[in-house]
Order: sequence, then C-alpha cells, then structure tokens
Amino acid sequence: MKAFLKKANFKGHLLTAISYLIPIVCGAGFIIAIGMALGGKSQDSLVIGKFNLFQAMATLGGNALGLLPVIIATGIAFSIAGKPGIAPGFVTGLAANSISAGFIGGIIGGYIAGWLAFAILKYFKVPSWAKGLMPTLIVPFLASLVSGLIMVYIVGTPVSWFTEWLTGLLKSLNGTSNLLFGAVLGVLSIVDFGGPINKTVFAFALTLQAQGINGPVTALQLTNTATPIGFGFAFLVAKALRKNIYTHEEIETLKSTVPMGVVNIVEGSIPIVMNDIVRGIFAAGLGGMCEGAILMSMTQGEGATVPFGGFLMLPTMGRNWWVGLLAIMANVIVTGIVYALIKKDIPADATENQKQVTEEDINLDDIQVM
Amino acid sequence: MKIVGVSACTVGIAHTYLAQQKMEDAAKKLGDEIKIETQGTIGIENKLSANDIKEADIVILAIDVKISGEERFENKKKVKVSTETAIKSPNKLIAKLHEIAGKQILNGKARG
Repeated sequence: MKAFLKKANFKGHLLTAISYLIPIVCGAGFIIAIGMALGGKSQDSLVIGKFNLFQAMATLGGNALGLLPVIIATGIAFSIAGKPGIAPGFVTGLAANSISAGFIGGIIGGYIAGWLAFAILKYFKVPSWAKGLMPTLIVPFLASLVSGLIMVYIVGTPVSWFTEWLTGLLKSLNGTSNLLFGAVLGVLSIVDFGGPINKTVFAFALTLQAQGINGPVTALQLTNTATPIGFGFAFLVAKALRKNIYTHEEIETLKSTVPMGVVNIVEGSIPIVMNDIVRGIFAAGLGGMCEGAILMSMTQGEGATVPFGGFLMLPTMGRNWWVGLLAIMANVIVTGIVYALIKKDIPADATENQKQVTEEDINLDDIQVM
Repeated sequence: MKIVGVSACTVGIAHTYLAQQKMEDAAKKLGDEIKIETQGTIGIENKLSANDIKEADIVILAIDVKISGEERFENKKKVKVSTETAIKSPNKLIAKLHEIAGKQILNGKARG
C-alpha cells in the first residue's frame, strides 16, 4: 500500500498543479480585489458601454477564479501524463465545473484524465501508419471522452453532494465551533510557511469559497499576510527589550520579508524561519491560531469575497472589515512578541557562517534512488 | 565527486533557492564540484549543459513538483528527495550521495 501510494504520487501531482494555479490566483485575485474594493462587481458578461473600469476588473478576476477547477484538473493531468494530459485534463475540469463538482471534482477529474492519458499512451498499441494519430487524435479523443463521461455520470454527483453536505455543516457552525475551527485553520495555514500543508488548506478553502463560504480562505490569507509582518515586528519588540535576535543578513532579508507580507506572500518569511525552525513555527503558529479564532468567531465564518490580496481583502469583507484588520493586528502582535521572547540573544556581530546549526537526521523514506 | 541537480518547489520563490544554496554549501565543504539548476516560478536558471550532465557522477533532484527536462538524466544515477530534506539535512544528504555513488569523501574532517 505504501509503495503504491509512493508510486501514485498523489501529493506530488497535486502540488505541481497548485504551482501552476498560484500565479493565476495571485494575479486574478489582486485584480478582483482592487476592482471590488473600488465598487466593481463581477458580471456574467460585459456589455459595451454598460460597465466601468472597476466592474471590468472584478469581472476579469472573477472569470479567471471561476475556472480554478479547470486549471487544477489540467495541471494534475499534465503532471501525470505530460503534454498529452493537458487536453483531457482541460475537458474533464470543465465537466467538473458544469456538474457543480467544483474544486474537489477538478482534483479527482485531473487524476482520472491524467492516468487515462498515461495508460492509453502506454498500453494502446497502434500500427505504425497511425503513430501520428496517437498524440493528435487518439489520446486526446479517448482520454477526454472517457474521463469527461466518468466525471459527468459517475464521480460528479457524489462529489457535489459531498460538497453540499460540507457546506451545510460549516454554515451551521456556531460560536465555539467557529472559534475552534478558525484556530485550527490558522495554525494549519502557517505551520509550514507556504509549503504543502498550507497549499492543501488553500485548496480546501478555495473549494469552500466556491460554495460561498468565505471565512476559511480569509483566515488563511490574513495569517499569510500577518506572519511576515510579525517577524518584522519581532525586531522592534526585541529592540525594546534590548535584545538582539537577528543577524545582519536576517535584518537585510526582513526588508523584503515585510513588504512581501503586506501583499500576501508568506514565503517571504521562509529565509528567516529556516534559521530557527522550531521557534519560528511556534511563534507563527500561535499568531495564526489567534488570527483564525478571532476572524472565524467574530464574523460567524464570513469573510472576504476574494481569495487573495492581503490588506486589499479587507474592503471586500463588508461590515466585517474591522474584524479582518483586528485579526491581522493580533497575529502580528502575538507572533512578534512571542518570537522576540523565545528567540535566543545573539552577539551583535554574529553572521550566518559562524552559527553552528545542528542538522536533523535525514528522512530515509524521502530518498528515492533511481 | 561531481554532482549536478535540479531544485524546484511548489511556489517556486523560496524553497527552490534555499535548497540550491544549502546543497551547494554542503557539497563545497566536502570538496565536491556541484551545479544545481533551479526551476522556480520565474523559469529555469543556472541551466545544466549537456556536458555538465555527462561529466556528473550523480544527479540530485530536490523537487516537490514535476520538472521539465527530467529525460536529460536518463541513464544517470539519480537521487530524488523533497526540497525540505535538502534544506534540513544538506550535509547528510551529500554524504548519502557519496555512499550511493560509491565515492570517497575527499575532505573527511568536514563531515558532520
């Protein structure tokens, strides 16, 4: 079973797809966030003369974000089968969209389409005169048709039921459970600073947003925004405590970490955290927990209508915008103070090279020799 | 020993380059020659030439996602890890590469 899971590489294919998805979410997310913050609303179609710039922006972003299931399906199928996977992935992703199987449907559809294309390439033998037909007609036609129909007739409906059930469950959460849910979301969003766990939560939160539940994705992105700023704030707290917690290199790094945080890119904090993983995760995790708990409990699970944008997400939160701001502030303050307190004092002239870092034992499960 | 490799992570702005840096530092400490190609979100940088690959004793792929040009390493001895392993335990990883390639570590005292 373990060998099968390793060979099937579910996680690797999903992460590859997410790596293609992220620039689209960031780009489109920023466009829709600006558009909606300035009064635009995403439209079904743009009729010349009946829209302004901000409506155009909201629509641009909204259309792109509405196709995320298609993008994830195409990405997964591509990761499995290479170029021949793109056509069936695309068709199946659209099928998932039309049968309301959403993001989960897109993920499942991507695997089906990819493996089908892969299997046809490997096992479907054609005479040599038909070799040219294989990539141009046989693979795209057969794999798209079969995986598209599997999506529409077999997979789609149970997935849309599941999504509905999950949506209903989350909508019925009340005060305390929202608080707990938010706290867990906040921690999971940040424990690996934009790594696989963060991206899995992101995929989950995007699924929910497609169902109109905006709290989770807001909790995720606001902690992504706040954490890098929190590490910057830790510098000031430490200064006030007459403590020196960063090397010169780290202080230089912070100058780009903090602005990256403001625009919602949590990865800016990785160079800082990597030098002191345990304490970094602890401080960021506590901050994220407070952020998620505040946000989810005080808004009853509501949030920004856009999935990306940092501070730009706040105006789309309607009357709850101040809760979002409060959650960011709490996260920055908690992460900053905790990190400044638990981090060891270092000599003012310390540099990276002088530090002796003890190295973790290598995880042999992770090594594949080929 | 001569090592070539590729690093690539999900988002392609941080782990990719940290893994490159850590593996380069660790390999140099042991007196190895190393060249790591990065496939970040910006595209391919520090591209491996056909000659680099031909001369290499071993190929290290520190990747979380599908990379382009994996077929270049056909017929080479390859080791695949996640970027996390390369970042967390670079020295032990390079030592392991020596073990797998069957090459002695030249600069023995830098070990560990």
